[in-house]
Amino acid sequence: MTEQPAPQTNPSLLPRNLGVKVGMLLAFAIMVATALVVYVLWARGVFEQTQRLTLIADNVDGVSAGMDLTFAGFPIGRVRRLSLSEDGKARIHVRVPVDDARWLRTTTVFTLEVGLVGSVKLRAYSANLQDPPLPDRAERPVLRGDTAQEIPKMVASLRSVLENIDQMTEASSSLAQSLNNARAVTERMAGKQGVLGAMVGSEENAKKVIAAIDHANTLLASLNGVSLKLDSVLSKTDQKVLGEGGVVDETQKAVKQANAILDEVSASLKRVDAILADAQVVASNAKAATADLGALRAEVEASLRRISALVDEINRKWPFARDTNVKLP
Amino acid sequence: MAFGGEFILRPRSWRRLARFAGFATVAALSSSAYTRAAREIAVHQIYLTAWKVVPGYLAFSALLSLVIIEVVRNAARSYGLTDYALELVLRVLVLELIPFLTAVFVALRSGSEIGAEIALMRVSGELEDQEEAGASPLHHELAPRVVGSALSVFTLTTLASALAMYIAYASFFGTSISGFHVFTRVVGHIFDLQILVGFLLKCLVFGLAVALIPLATGLEAERGEPRSVPFTVVAGLVKLFFVVCLIEILSLVVKYV
Repeated sequence: MTEQPAPQTNPSLLPRNLGVKVGMLLAFAIMVATALVVYVLWARGVFEQTQRLTLIADNVDGVSAGMDLTFAGFPIGRVRRLSLSEDGKARIHVRVPVDDARWLRTTTVFTLEVGLVGSVKLRAYSANLQDPPLPDRAERPVLRGDTAQEIPKMVASLRSVLENIDQMTEASSSLAQSLNNARAVTERMAGKQGVLGAMVGSEENAKKVIAAIDHANTLLASLNGVSLKLDSVLSKTDQKVLGEGGVVDETQKAVKQANAILDEVSASLKRVDAILADAQVVASNAKAATADLGALRAEVEASLRRISALVDEINRKWPFARDTNVKLP
Repeated sequence: MAFGGEFILRPRSWRRLARFAGFATVAALSSSAYTRAAREIAVHQIYLTAWKVVPGYLAFSALLSLVIIEVVRNAARSYGLTDYALELVLRVLVLELIPFLTAVFVALRSGSEIGAEIALMRVSGELEDQEEAGASPLHHELAPRVVGSALSVFTLTTLASALAMYIAYASFFGTSISGFHVFTRVVGHIFDLQILVGFLLKCLVFGLAVALIPLATGLEAERGEPRSVPFTVVAGLVKLFFVVCLIEILSLVVKYV
């Protein structure tokens, strides 16, 4: 206070160029203030070309003018004002700078997300950026996802779930009874007769079952002996039927003999043919030849008797044959 | 002597203040007030109130801004609200704290000086002598001081606000210009038209209050009674502080309630 003189009384104490200094300071302050105001207006988008977009929602609770519309986390537009239309729908008027409007397409989906903490978020999702761009003054519905509204519904359903659990866990509930039964069963399982006791109900029954199993075991042991005996019988049978000197072997031999006999028969018959031919040629000597024929007939009959005997023998030895007749040629 | 602790409640004093404010504002706006002598007084007033304190005041406000920005940033980070930290900082600092502090600073630095000066002129009878000589002390002595004080408040507020904005930017984004887009968006979000007009109006009212109240209270000193000078000076400062706080509260109420 002491250094401040009254200007008109002692002007020589004032620094020179005071007017210039003060003028510079004032000019600088005015410049800065103007720059700040212009910057703020520019930041508000006053000098920017914008296009309008109206979002229609059932409820714009939490939305306020100045809020951002974001695309992929970047603010691309700003809410200018809110209004209520005649049909009771809320309208959010958004201004989007023309430069940023390229992110908005005709297929863009707009959402209004209300979280538990923090402000409401207005978001745009463009699935396909090749779709035609969103025209100016477009009106689009906005989908609202409200966590706070979901909570009462969730609480209601949770309560019914809890009631169900409550009912299930009551002492008289079927679950509790089941658990009691399960405990009885497991107690029996842990008892002397183990799982078997649990299955058949009482210790007595379990003992019976064990005795039955013991019996079954002894039965199986004796059955084992029987099967061993049966095995030896079968092997013997096998030997008898199929072994050397067995039924089959004998039959084979008989068949071979029969073949040999048949060959002989065939040869005899050929001779008969020749003789018959001779008989035709030598008709006149028939009577003379009768003696030879008698001998030959005796020979044929002998052969046939042998065949008959052989066939009888085969039949006797070959028990499986169904047809007992031997066809002669 | 009625200048005790109850001066805030004295309606007569407030009426006189309001009347003087009206006269002084009209005188400051009338072109007849801007004579060469009046201009010199105004320049001198700005020199004392703004020029001489600019470096100190800017250093002080830079330090305060830095501290508040860091406090808000760290608090916001620990609560997971980093997105809102910049907006909070700008709202608190630029919109509220800097104009208020500037007004209080100028009031303490110059208000008491002006009040004492006018009270002394009143005690010595200088003002009445001028009036008797046909000159208008309101135009030649008082109005230039009012204008000078108001311009000083405007200058200091503007520079300190710009500095606070720069410090906020530098604290959040460093020297890179990559954050400019985000910063601009936040600024655009905060300063809507009402806020901007309200801010400018508040700065103007602060300037006027700081200029007018000590002057008007200084005029309440009585001629030939030097003991009334300290009372008028203290009364002026208390009234000024009360009015500045009231303006701040009103502006907050209008903005947020």
